[in-house]
Amino acid sequence: MIGQSKKMGWGFTAPALLWTLAFFVAPFIVMGAMSFAILEGRNLIWGFHLDNYIELATRPYLWRAVIASIEITLTVTLISVVLAYPLAATIAFRVPRHLQRLVLLLAILPFWTSYVVRSYAWLLVLAREGVLNQTLINLGLIAEPITLANTRFATVTGFVHFFVMLLTLTIYANLIQLSPNYRRAAMDLGANAFQTFRHVILPLTLPGIVTGAFLTFVLCIGDYVTPHVLGGNNELTMPQVIMVQLGRRADFPLASALAIVMMGMVTLAYLAAARWLRLDRV
Amino acid sequence: MTASVHLEGINHWFGSFQALNNISLEIKAGEYVTLLGPSGCGKTTLLSVLGGFIQPTNGQVRIGNNDMTFVPPSQRPTTTMFQDYALFPHMNLRDNVSFGLRMAGMGKAERHKKADEKLDLVGLVADGSKRPHELSGGQRQRVALARALAVKPDVLLLDEPLGALDLKLRRAMQDELKVIQRQVGTTFVHVTHDQEEAMAIADRIIVMNSGQIEDAGPPSQVYNQPATLFTADFMGEMNHIPAQIKKGKASTNLGTFPAQDMPDGAATLCIRPETIHADGRGLSLGTAQVKNVTFFGAHIRVILASNEKPDVTLLAHLPPGDMPKEGSKIPLSVDANALRFYPECC
Amino acid sequence: MRTYLPWIYLALAFGFIYLPVCVLVLFSFQDGGLPVPPFDGPSLKWYREVLSDRDVTDALIHSLFVAVGSSAVAVILGFLAAYGLARHTLPGSAFIRLLLVAPLTVSYLIVGLGLLIVLSRAGFGLSLGTAGIGHVVINLPLAFAIIYASMGAQHENAERAARDLGASEMRVVVLVTAPMLAPAIAAAFFLSVTLSWDEFIIAFLLTRFDITLPVEIWSMLRSGLSPRLNAIGSVVFLISVAAVLILEFTTLRRRRS
Repeated sequence: MIGQSKKMGWGFTAPALLWTLAFFVAPFIVMGAMSFAILEGRNLIWGFHLDNYIELATRPYLWRAVIASIEITLTVTLISVVLAYPLAATIAFRVPRHLQRLVLLLAILPFWTSYVVRSYAWLLVLAREGVLNQTLINLGLIAEPITLANTRFATVTGFVHFFVMLLTLTIYANLIQLSPNYRRAAMDLGANAFQTFRHVILPLTLPGIVTGAFLTFVLCIGDYVTPHVLGGNNELTMPQVIMVQLGRRADFPLASALAIVMMGMVTLAYLAAARWLRLDRV
Repeated sequence: MTASVHLEGINHWFGSFQALNNISLEIKAGEYVTLLGPSGCGKTTLLSVLGGFIQPTNGQVRIGNNDMTFVPPSQRPTTTMFQDYALFPHMNLRDNVSFGLRMAGMGKAERHKKADEKLDLVGLVADGSKRPHELSGGQRQRVALARALAVKPDVLLLDEPLGALDLKLRRAMQDELKVIQRQVGTTFVHVTHDQEEAMAIADRIIVMNSGQIEDAGPPSQVYNQPATLFTADFMGEMNHIPAQIKKGKASTNLGTFPAQDMPDGAATLCIRPETIHADGRGLSLGTAQVKNVTFFGAHIRVILASNEKPDVTLLAHLPPGDMPKEGSKIPLSVDANALRFYPECC
Repeated sequence: MRTYLPWIYLALAFGFIYLPVCVLVLFSFQDGGLPVPPFDGPSLKWYREVLSDRDVTDALIHSLFVAVGSSAVAVILGFLAAYGLARHTLPGSAFIRLLLVAPLTVSYLIVGLGLLIVLSRAGFGLSLGTAGIGHVVINLPLAFAIIYASMGAQHENAERAARDLGASEMRVVVLVTAPMLAPAIAAAFFLSVTLSWDEFIIAFLLTRFDITLPVEIWSMLRSGLSPRLNAIGSVVFLISVAAVLILEFTTLRRRRS
């Protein structure tokens, strides 16, 4: 250690620490306390009231949003992992080494558009007058345009589009640092491609998959833009419901309670994934 | 199980770089052969060709009497022991060793029994439930050997298996590998860059350089009668003395020496340091002045400069005893059959 | 057939990935009024309209402001904290590191919501500055993590040598540590700018009159499908691609020399 002086150490670390405490930890605590407050008319009453949480559990408008969020997030995570893994494997094992970086860059390129704009672009593709419907009609596969936009299908598609890219990157990073000798040894001992994957590659990459899936879960469940642009008004997700509470009534207490519940779900997901997240690289 | 190996006219290019140049080799069934050479000589490439991980640009690989040139590793009767062992970290030792048997469809009880037999062969049967990361480097190497032997290959390919071990462990493992090979009778092809290791372990040494075979033969032959200058220098330290040969006689700065059956012209006379004597036996090399003396335990390493021609330096390994003083003059001589000539023309 | 399967999959995957962006860029040149088929000949009118729109250009400048400003703060704070923790033994340093990295695990919506509650209860107005504060909160953990991970033993030795030659700690930090960590600092800065530039929800919650580009695009969205959005989206895309290419070429050139 260069400086044993604790004062200097604090001097360097304090600014970042203070910022985090003031603008992250404190608001978090306030939000937590706020979730136990109630709004009476335009007056905010602090205290320990469970009203918001009870309302969350009993009002269908609210708990349906919780269910919708969980269902959508789990669906998106599952589909994205299943689609991303073969893509990552193809790039890691089939594409020539010196081209891999280029291929990855090309795969990321479309995501350099604004996030808001990208969701909008999916709206264009999936609209009744949009590209997908028009193509299907022109190919003679359907007679009338199908409603794809403003549905859960659209939300899921929009999410999967982004998370397949993210998961491809994380799974690729995992696959590429696997010694090629594992595959060679497995083949040498008589395993075919599928057996090599099932008995050697998959178990060794499982921690990376779980990490990526957890990341997907966290980002997906807290996202407001995609469900709002693509999901329509028939079904709302938790972030949308939170925003509604902020907009119309400025109901900070209810919004806080919803946010706390959302954090709770993330924590549950973390606990489920913790077994693999804690596993050190062998 | 065991089989012979025949390589005919193997050539291989990586892009424009030729890694293997017209390699032809015969290995008898049950032989322990080492591929010896410096980094980049092509020995690992040749091993990969034998293992089926590389298809040679042209040439033929026969194992037993079957053409295996294009047969993939999973169907070839060879197994490879990789340099980093490549033990599956998520399986215990028993599952690692029985992996090949499982791929062949063997039932759990039977393959575990066979795996334990192989673990017993390498002395690790009590650790069958452990994971690779719990073992030392030497132990992992033995598990890799057990795993490779479990599928009863005809040919076992070893890619610098002892490189990661310290000297004492390496020596012990060399002996162990030899014993196990004798026991199972499988043909072993062992790649190394260490000439001492090759001499300790091989029935035959194949010396390679720049994609070609320089020499092949039992250790004593390759050491004492190296076929090429490269082999001579690679197998151990050598004295180089320029010579001119005319009608079976070589004239050098240290005198004239017999050189029967050698073509006329310029050549290099090579003499092993341990064949130079200070007691007068054999052909005289004149007198030399001691420049540097180092005690090496089993021999004394002496660097000398010839009295007659002071710019000719000689290296001698004298038997242990009284260490010669620096500056003293010693008469040197050499056995007649220790002279090796390498003509410049060839 | 089996050997072609991976390549077919790769092609399909890329098709899926590029579909919305291709549609976006294609219909930004739409001559008609709706960014849907049929495509009526290329026209630059929407680009002209969008780039001459004061709100849009203002929002673009605001975005840059917030991105560069908040990233600079995040990187400076992150660098100092990384140095403080890596080179000094502090009590509970593991806990401090955890705390600094914690915001990464929390959804942006919640970060923004928390700040919104605190700021509005405290009577503070919303502005680009408050959005910037929020962006520092989300970027500080990243900057800290990246720089901390890059502080190696070889850096410590160089710092020791500088101290040995008489430099005070502050001078060591400025003249030795920071330049040595330039790649990590640059990477952290670039990443922060990228994330901040495109960030929506925190900017949406914490700005009021002056807004950033994603928020401006959002309000344009409220008025329905229009090639204007395609145009602005394509412009943002182009800027991002250009930035990445410039970075690739400048770092590539540095690597070769």
